[in-house]
Amino acid sequence: MNSFLRKNMVMLVAVFIMAAFLTAAAQGMEKQDFVITLLRGLAVGSITFLVASGFSLIFGLLDVLNLAHGTLFMIGAYLGWTVVVRPDTFVDLLTPLALIISGFALGDVYPLLASRIRLGLSMRRFLPWGLILVSILLLGFILPRYPIAIWDVENYAQSPVTFAFMADSGARLPVQPAAFTEISMPLAVIGLLLASILGAFGISLFDNTPRTVRLSWKNFVSIAVALVVALVGLIFNDQLSAYLYSLNSNWLFFIAVLVATLSGVALGGLMEATLIRPLYSRPIYQLMLTLGMSAIGIEMVRAIWGRPEFVMPKPAFFNGSGEACPATNFADWWANHCSTILIFDGRVRVYNEIFIPLVGLVVLISIWILLQRTRLGMIIRAGVQDSQMVEALGINVRRVFTMVFALGVGLAALGGVLGAPSTGLSNVMGESLLLNALIALAIGGLTSYPGAALGSVIVGMIQQFIIKYGQIGIAIPFTDIIFKPTPPLVPASTVMLMVIVLLILPNGLLGKKE
Amino acid sequence: MENILEVQNIHTFIGQYHILQGVNVRVPKGSIVALLGRNGAGKTTTLKSILGLTPPREGKVIFNGQEVNGLRSFDIASMGIGFVPEHRAIFRDLSVEENLKIAERKKGDYLRKKDFIFTLFPDLQRLIALPGTSLSGGQQQMLAIARALVPDNQLLLIDEPSEGLAPVIIESMMTAIRELAKESTVILVEQNFLVASQLAEYYVIIEEGRSVQDGKMKDLAADKAAIHRFLGAA
Repeated sequence: MNSFLRKNMVMLVAVFIMAAFLTAAAQGMEKQDFVITLLRGLAVGSITFLVASGFSLIFGLLDVLNLAHGTLFMIGAYLGWTVVVRPDTFVDLLTPLALIISGFALGDVYPLLASRIRLGLSMRRFLPWGLILVSILLLGFILPRYPIAIWDVENYAQSPVTFAFMADSGARLPVQPAAFTEISMPLAVIGLLLASILGAFGISLFDNTPRTVRLSWKNFVSIAVALVVALVGLIFNDQLSAYLYSLNSNWLFFIAVLVATLSGVALGGLMEATLIRPLYSRPIYQLMLTLGMSAIGIEMVRAIWGRPEFVMPKPAFFNGSGEACPATNFADWWANHCSTILIFDGRVRVYNEIFIPLVGLVVLISIWILLQRTRLGMIIRAGVQDSQMVEALGINVRRVFTMVFALGVGLAALGGVLGAPSTGLSNVMGESLLLNALIALAIGGLTSYPGAALGSVIVGMIQQFIIKYGQIGIAIPFTDIIFKPTPPLVPASTVMLMVIVLLILPNGLLGKKE
Repeated sequence: MENILEVQNIHTFIGQYHILQGVNVRVPKGSIVALLGRNGAGKTTTLKSILGLTPPREGKVIFNGQEVNGLRSFDIASMGIGFVPEHRAIFRDLSVEENLKIAERKKGDYLRKKDFIFTLFPDLQRLIALPGTSLSGGQQQMLAIARALVPDNQLLLIDEPSEGLAPVIIESMMTAIRELAKESTVILVEQNFLVASQLAEYYVIIEEGRSVQDGKMKDLAADKAAIHRFLGAA
């Protein structure tokens, strides 16, 4: 018992302080306000957790402070929005994307090809760059001419804001399907495939480690899949678009979550393999790179989706209204799918304040199981401490690095798409969330997974309670003064808490001593 | 006798420092070879260069007849080389059992080797569920060696096994190393000449990044002058 107390001292003190804080908060407000604020805190905490946990996994294992993490969270939100509001754009993008990926899917074939070619030294130096240049030129020629039906940020009637508004109100704007006019279809398809193969071959030539490759049909499975996806996207373009438009909003939302998360995973893997990996021995450059990536990402989002803010429609499952709403209990809610439910007489928004924390909980438990119960998790936990030793055991740590980076970015993108229907989409959503996540990690412990969860919930709670007190005011004891925290105190309060925690516990609440 | 490992004139840099300036080591199959030398001579770097953790810029490392320099560490290790580093490098967030399981190269390695490992180090069986941090120095050293025994390694690189251990524990450690040397070849880095001379059949002396002398351990043990000159030991 005593050793339990000593071991979990910090945790117990943290729980005690939280309990004291919540009890104090409960005294000063109505029951329904308290419950709603608590749930909102959990919701904000859950989204923060999705970003913070990925960030902390990446930092713990790879020692990379990924400052682009917030931007990737934002990109997840925008990608999800595109699937829900403009599925036709998403379908149009499928073919060129699959074609560009297909060349890289050949992987092991290139070293074999390279070993067959005998080249002089100067040619060997020039060839990779030459191939990459040709590939970029080809892409630069074809991609701008490739027909993709998309919104127009310059024209309000055709802007994402209008499309989002119409989709939210249930009616959709008619869209013009794109057609091959500036370039012929076979030329575009063959050109993209060629560009992809040349580029992938060029990049593979940089790796000079001798390898023995045996070719089998397995080497060609991935390219076959990519080509099939490309062809299906091309031939059945109209049918696919029509099918997606005919789906109800729940399915569309589900696909959006899937697409955003998987895109995050792919983007993360690509980013680690191409940009982060060459810089492991130069951490400062890595930091500058991720900072630059963040800025580039934000500008890209501005260029594609425009600057104004808009919302992602909520799935119908959480968006019912009418006579029976708000629901009074969960059975009632299940029958009507009301957007709100009465809990202690307070109106709670089901999507924002119940669904999001639930997803946060599911992710928390899934990742916990991954870390504690699987071999991959074991390798990650060991690698956080000493990745060189893990490599010396004969484990390909670099591959695990890529996986963890991909997983972390995938989690951020999931956070983005989940948060989009509740907080809306804006160009700055990533930066402010990354700041929250960093504060949460500093409070919880930078490389501690439970610390990321605890810190995120604390940050979410404090912010929401301060916002609530800004509305109702706090009666200062023994005086008649009612103090109303102003909005700037919302971020300031979490920073203050972070400073206090770090002064007492330099490693955060659950962080380990380095 | 056939050599399982040959290190031929390797040069290794760490940052801009030229640490190894020509190290040669021949390791006959089934033997224990001790790398001797003063602190900072380059013994640990030699082990790390064999494994590619600090890849040599020049020279060759030949393992089982195959040139392995230039390959990545995990590929070299996977060919059958186990590493027991200085300061043990036990994973503190993993339990003793997980510390062993993580070393599996094929599924079931741990289950197969369990009995062998626990006869060698009976203490570990008792500690199996504890986290790596709660072990004493001697137990951590045993765990580090046990970890290298989980996969089928043909060569073990053991760095300073007696460092910081009580004499009684050193004794049982030596018994264990003798026992495991029946199954595989061992390269031992050891400051304690008494320990090294009792374990190893061959030695290589490394001085300022160069291998300066090698031969049979029993010849060196008889040559007090050489011991004093190279190792500073009486």
